[in-house]
Amino acid sequence: MPASAAWARPEELVESLSSLDNTARLKALRDVKNQIIGNKTKKLSYIKLGAVPRVVEILASDTEVPLLVQSAAAVGSFACGIEAGVKAVLDSGVLPHLLKMLSNGDNKVVEACARSLKMIFQSTLAPKSDMFQGHRMELIIELLNSENDSVAEVAASVLARCCETVDHQRALADAGGLQSLVGLLNGSLKTREAALDALAALTRGNKQLCSTLTCMDQGKSLAMIMKLVKDKSSRTRLLACTCLANIGKASPSSLHQEREIRAGMLSILVKLFDEPGQVGEEAPGVLADLVSNNEDLQKVAMDMNSIEKLAEFLRKDEISPKQLAGVLMALAELCSRFEDSRKQLLDLKVQAPIIAALEHDSVGVRAAACSCIKSLSRSVQNLRTGLTDELLVLPLLKLLSDSSSDIQALALSAVSNIVLDFKPHKAVVFRCGGVSQLIQLSQSMDPILRLNAVWALKNLLYMSDKTVKERVMGELTFNSLVDLIFDSEEKVREQAMALVRNLVYGDVDSVQLALVQDSVLLHAVEKQLHVSTQPEICIQGLYIVSNVAAGNEVHKEAVMDIVIPVTSVGVNRNTSLLMRYLQDMSNPQIRVVALWCVINLTFPNSPGVSSRISRLRDGGIEAQLQSMVDDPCLDVKDRAKTALEHFSAVEVHSR
Amino acid sequence: MSSSKKVITKEEWEKKLADVKIRKEDMNKLVMNFLVTEGYVEAAEKFQMESGTQPDIDLGTITDRMAVRKAVQCGNVEDAIEKVNDLNPEILDTNPQLFFHLQQQRLIELIRSGSVEEALQFAQEELAPRGEENHAFLEELERTVALLAFEDTASCPVGELLDVSQRQKTASELNAAILTSQSHEKDPKLPSLLKMLIWAQNQLDEKASYPRINDLVNATLEDPVT
Repeated sequence: MPASAAWARPEELVESLSSLDNTARLKALRDVKNQIIGNKTKKLSYIKLGAVPRVVEILASDTEVPLLVQSAAAVGSFACGIEAGVKAVLDSGVLPHLLKMLSNGDNKVVEACARSLKMIFQSTLAPKSDMFQGHRMELIIELLNSENDSVAEVAASVLARCCETVDHQRALADAGGLQSLVGLLNGSLKTREAALDALAALTRGNKQLCSTLTCMDQGKSLAMIMKLVKDKSSRTRLLACTCLANIGKASPSSLHQEREIRAGMLSILVKLFDEPGQVGEEAPGVLADLVSNNEDLQKVAMDMNSIEKLAEFLRKDEISPKQLAGVLMALAELCSRFEDSRKQLLDLKVQAPIIAALEHDSVGVRAAACSCIKSLSRSVQNLRTGLTDELLVLPLLKLLSDSSSDIQALALSAVSNIVLDFKPHKAVVFRCGGVSQLIQLSQSMDPILRLNAVWALKNLLYMSDKTVKERVMGELTFNSLVDLIFDSEEKVREQAMALVRNLVYGDVDSVQLALVQDSVLLHAVEKQLHVSTQPEICIQGLYIVSNVAAGNEVHKEAVMDIVIPVTSVGVNRNTSLLMRYLQDMSNPQIRVVALWCVINLTFPNSPGVSSRISRLRDGGIEAQLQSMVDDPCLDVKDRAKTALEHFSAVEVHSR
Repeated sequence: MSSSKKVITKEEWEKKLADVKIRKEDMNKLVMNFLVTEGYVEAAEKFQMESGTQPDIDLGTITDRMAVRKAVQCGNVEDAIEKVNDLNPEILDTNPQLFFHLQQQRLIELIRSGSVEEALQFAQEELAPRGEENHAFLEELERTVALLAFEDTASCPVGELLDVSQRQKTASELNAAILTSQSHEKDPKLPSLLKMLIWAQNQLDEKASYPRINDLVNATLEDPVT
């Protein structure tokens, strides 16, 4: 009777795994397997005794079905629940043997090997990319169509785990994976859930596959997934929601007519928050995906009180990193557009745990916390009342040198928001060396980091005083700023121009900054105004010259030389920058800012105003202004009138 | 106050009930679901032959499941573990609570057979590490080991662990886990229908007086309280 038979000593048992006698080998194998299943301590001690290579050896060289089944089961158990076990079986080179056995003629062998693979692939150590070599993927996809339900289930869950990149998704779909997985949705509960899991992995962030799935079988597949949203099993509900959230996120219009369905999914997800285990853990993250970029759904979610429910999680002592990241992401999405949501969240007084999450060990949590702060800091009101704590700025600045560039970029966006229009934060950023970090990042090779860093510096300079401007420029240098004005990335160029605009805005000292170092900034701006074809960049350029034109006589004259230069043959009527932009019919804003420039240059009672006006007249500007009184844009009309008043004031004056 | 409640007589009630149609096939499926879930394999086979109702699971798997259950009910826990591991190694590998309860049952059986030394060694080697992983397990382990402190287990405060009911509890937990692993619901549907009936009656009690069913086994309609 096995129940009373005492097991042999572990060392002897391991020895017997390599016995030449088949019966002894099988017995040892079974004994080891039965000892390690469910028992981490035993797994570790058998790994130390070197049992794994011997078990794998049986799988590699034996042919008898019971031996193969038992060794595959033992491998699976070693790989279940402990990373050391996964490492041990992979180091023993088990993967090719397991894959080879999937084509074994015996169903039991195939099932046991497929289960082992599933265990291995639940670990992060699994060699996911290896599965896309040779014909391995085809082999697994073939198993999806297996008669044996549990083999199909295991195959689907392996696919769910190893599909991580767009290339993986494409390879899987090209091999026919999508169709086979959809076919499994009619299977047993576990098979269906594994198939949904794999479909979720296939559709994540993949527009093309989302639309393929949407259109498959005249929409019947999609309809089936929609039905599963109301399934009895909570895991099925969650996974079906995940698939549909992916589809909604990839192509917001594809589910447009099913607004009700999506609102229904929201209430299902909110209820799933309370489920124990994996389902409750993943539900907040799925909600985040679902409401992302969808204001309509964000409102529905708010009405369901989801912000309060999510905030509740932040008060818990113990929360898994995955769940925490999901909760923070969901809050970030819900607070991304609506002031009401932000206020509600701040009123719940969970700032401390959100800020603490900025320093979490998990990259996912840090990123989600950063997104949350970014959303919250979008409103000035909140910055004044709810997020004034210096404790926020320090961890955020720390993330500017995070090891993940995604997090650096997110942190930069959050910093951008908090330094805008809020003096105390600007001061803290200075005190903590944040400015140096921003300047360093503005020189990064990563275009996203460069862009976000310039953006943050631009916001920092917005309405800032002389000391802030001098310190930033002292460290950034005018030459680096000019480099940024001519950056290879269009977006960076635009932000660099906007930075200059904020820099030279304000008192005469600020305007003077455009003229230091032989007017290096002004010349760069002039060049952009000549060559750029991007309206956004031109608008920023015009704002800059307009700001400078608001300065003293020297400044105004410098602008005159740019916008309406005098050449050897006098003032050219048609080719001046000013004329070009006043006549630009592509964008009324361009004309408005160009008019501001005229207004600032012709401001009455300034000493040189009459000579400037006569030069502008010579350049045909007054005539142009008269034609603009009938402009289709009301703003343009009004400004043109103001400018013309300046012209006539001087006329009267000179008479 | 009771006068505000609507009174429905037995005749009216029965007439209404007669209007409700229930398909025979649905009834049969409910019966089959009960037999399969509870593991009455022979009855299920006969019922399939006589009524033509298809079971929602391969009847062969019931035999395996029942063998496992029976092993626990006989106190043969080690045998049950080996059998369930052959069925699907994932069940015990991914269900620490169930695994602990089986090991605990093994300890109980060792104590029952009087093998004190073996029991202590087993508790130390197999169960103590589980207790370190989980505080709730540790408490249960301490409770179980307390059995050893009493000569006469009848006077032991945790004596119920030695009852047959404890074996039943463990066997049911294992049975449920096997059913779940086979994508089958772990509970039969009939009890939930009865629960629903009781809930619906309780709701209705607040609004009306009607022929209530108090005796579920005979489903007798009582006279409405007036």
